Amino acid sequence: MKLLKAAVIFVLVPTLTPAFDPLSVSVVVGGAVMAWHLLSSDSWLKCRFQECCNRNSTLNFTALKAQLDNRLFGQHLAKDVVLKAVLGFSNNPSPKKPLMLSLHGWAGTGKNFLSQILAEQVHPAGLRSKFVHLFLATLHFPHHDQVKLYKEQLQNWIRGNVSACPSSVFIFDEMDKMHPGVIDAIKPFLDYYEEVDGVSYRKAIFIFLSNAGGDLINKAALDFWASGKRREDIQLKDLEPLLSVGVFNNKNSGLWHSSIIDRNLIDYFVPFLPLEQRHVKMCVRAEMAARGYAVDEKIVQEVADEMTYFPKEQRIYSDKGCKTVQAKLDIHEDVVMRDTNARG
Amino acid sequence: MKLRRGTLRAALALVLLPLLTPAGAVEPISVGLAIAGAAASALTGFISYPRLYCYFRECCLHRHDPRAAAALQENLDKRLFGQHLVSKVVVKAVRGFLNNTNAKKPLALSLHGWTGTGKNFVSKIVAESIYKKGLQSKYVHQFVATLHFPHAHSINLYKDQLQSWIRGNVSICPRSLFIFDEMDKMHAGLIDSIKPFLDYYELLDGVSYRQAIFIFLSNAGAEKITEVALDFWRNGRTREDIQLTDIQNALSVSVFNNKNSGFWHSTLIDRNLIDYFIPFLPLEYKHVKMCVRVEIESRGYAVDEDIVSRIADEMTYFPREERIYSDKGCKTVDAKLDYYYDF
Repeated sequence: MKLLKAAVIFVLVPTLTPAFDPLSVSVVVGGAVMAWHLLSSDSWLKCRFQECCNRNSTLNFTALKAQLDNRLFGQHLAKDVVLKAVLGFSNNPSPKKPLMLSLHGWAGTGKNFLSQILAEQVHPAGLRSKFVHLFLATLHFPHHDQVKLYKEQLQNWIRGNVSACPSSVFIFDEMDKMHPGVIDAIKPFLDYYEEVDGVSYRKAIFIFLSNAGGDLINKAALDFWASGKRREDIQLKDLEPLLSVGVFNNKNSGLWHSSIIDRNLIDYFVPFLPLEQRHVKMCVRAEMAARGYAVDEKIVQEVADEMTYFPKEQRIYSDKGCKTVQAKLDIHEDVVMRDTNARG
Repeated sequence: MKLRRGTLRAALALVLLPLLTPAGAVEPISVGLAIAGAAASALTGFISYPRLYCYFRECCLHRHDPRAAAALQENLDKRLFGQHLVSKVVVKAVRGFLNNTNAKKPLALSLHGWTGTGKNFVSKIVAESIYKKGLQSKYVHQFVATLHFPHAHSINLYKDQLQSWIRGNVSICPRSLFIFDEMDKMHAGLIDSIKPFLDYYELLDGVSYRQAIFIFLSNAGAEKITEVALDFWRNGRTREDIQLTDIQNALSVSVFNNKNSGFWHSTLIDRNLIDYFIPFLPLEYKHVKMCVRVEIESRGYAVDEDIVSRIADEMTYFPREERIYSDKGCKTVDAKLDYYYDF
């Protein structure tokens, strides 16, 4: 339709202005139309070249589920909770408060990975999107004596970005290293208000990542294993009360005695279980496939054996989750390359 | 090539355009100027094309140079003595990292060992293999803890400065190399300030650190390594039998718990952000002799075995009874040379 209009203008205008050079007039009019489209926000032309805010965002549930099933290993609890949370939030045309997830678990279990997958569903560019903001406690809020400054800056940043794009995603990493109290600065945005100073925060998503509670989760998982139950039998209700209190009382958790937990503003506590050897092998296979090598079970087993496991006697859970798998693969690379080349 | 073709097409279109317009009212002079402008920009584009420019000035490597790993292997084999573990691991690590176009995190190597065993030497060789100008390259940055971060009370300032330096340089050239020497003397916690850059993040404030290389040198864990080596020797096994796994696990824990290691309870080990712990074994008598021979040759003299043995004998060895490993590795060998040769 728009193209038709443009074509019509192109043809008609020269005939209406006989005294002007038709080429220049067409160029000028065409340029004016394009500039109008480019400068106005959210026009179809602008959104082809630049990223636009996804205003009527409905998350594709099936796509998210497929991504989680294919890429995240060994976290049945986390997958369940996140899918339910996201489904409920996105299908609700007027959510009452922004979505807040708190991801807890041992290192290397997939917290950052999950938040990345989630961000990609909301904004296709994922973490590179201008509407997805990642904050690291040790990088962005390093000095404890400047907490007041950080609070103010954080509030302004959040307010500015949510008014530009209501469905912004904010990811706070290393919550266990954040100064208790910095997070209190954003409490007003997370509450059940309709609008705060004319900006509605109800469609935003806040994700908190932390290692706090990781040891509690590990203990619970170990207890399950010791009593002979299957990993998939662990339910959220077994862990949630443990987590919330453990995180609340842990001085290092960043949410320490924070009003966010106090007021129950965190919608979902998502626990990440420590990974077993079979999950580490899945990670190795996925990495080999991503690099284009043929998957050799011998190498997979070798790399999985090189990782260290805890507890010392039973050796069930990987110390580092799936981290450093890539590096170990490099050491075996010449064998892998030889195999790949041999198979052609 | 693509650039030339694109501008060629544009120029052609510009020339043909006047013939296509029905009114024929296009100004020949303005069209001529437009074509000349297009040609000039094409010429500039050709000249500033990276390949040509990089012959004269140093450029940041955007594409992997396949000869780097081979050069690294050759140099390590020729110039590094007595470290069979090191040459194996370093070459594989560096080659794998450079070949991987989709690295998930920057490469972090931690070199540990006795003094004089070749840690700085290896980092120098790595820099020379990847960058044309080696350690003098503007993309290679070396930090010495006692020199650059001397005062414990200014640690906040050092943290800020270090973060800004790393962020600035990696945004200019993603394939930067950072060498941190004397890690055992660095304030525990200063290294925590660069932990975010070593982690598995895609982008941090718009800068991707996934192509950078970080090398940490330290003496921490040297006693543990020597213990393992001595055990092997006492059990009659050869030095080359020592495998990486024998040492690696012992190292990681001992370095972590050692208050002086600079990594003490640091999140770097906690989060397993160090890709490889590379141990340097203490050097034996025969390796010291190799060092002496190389030094004599580099000065242009004929190698006299008698002098070589005498110099090697002058070095002190430990443990007291067995006297196997040189106390200072290959250090001070060149000074002793001066004594024997009259210039």
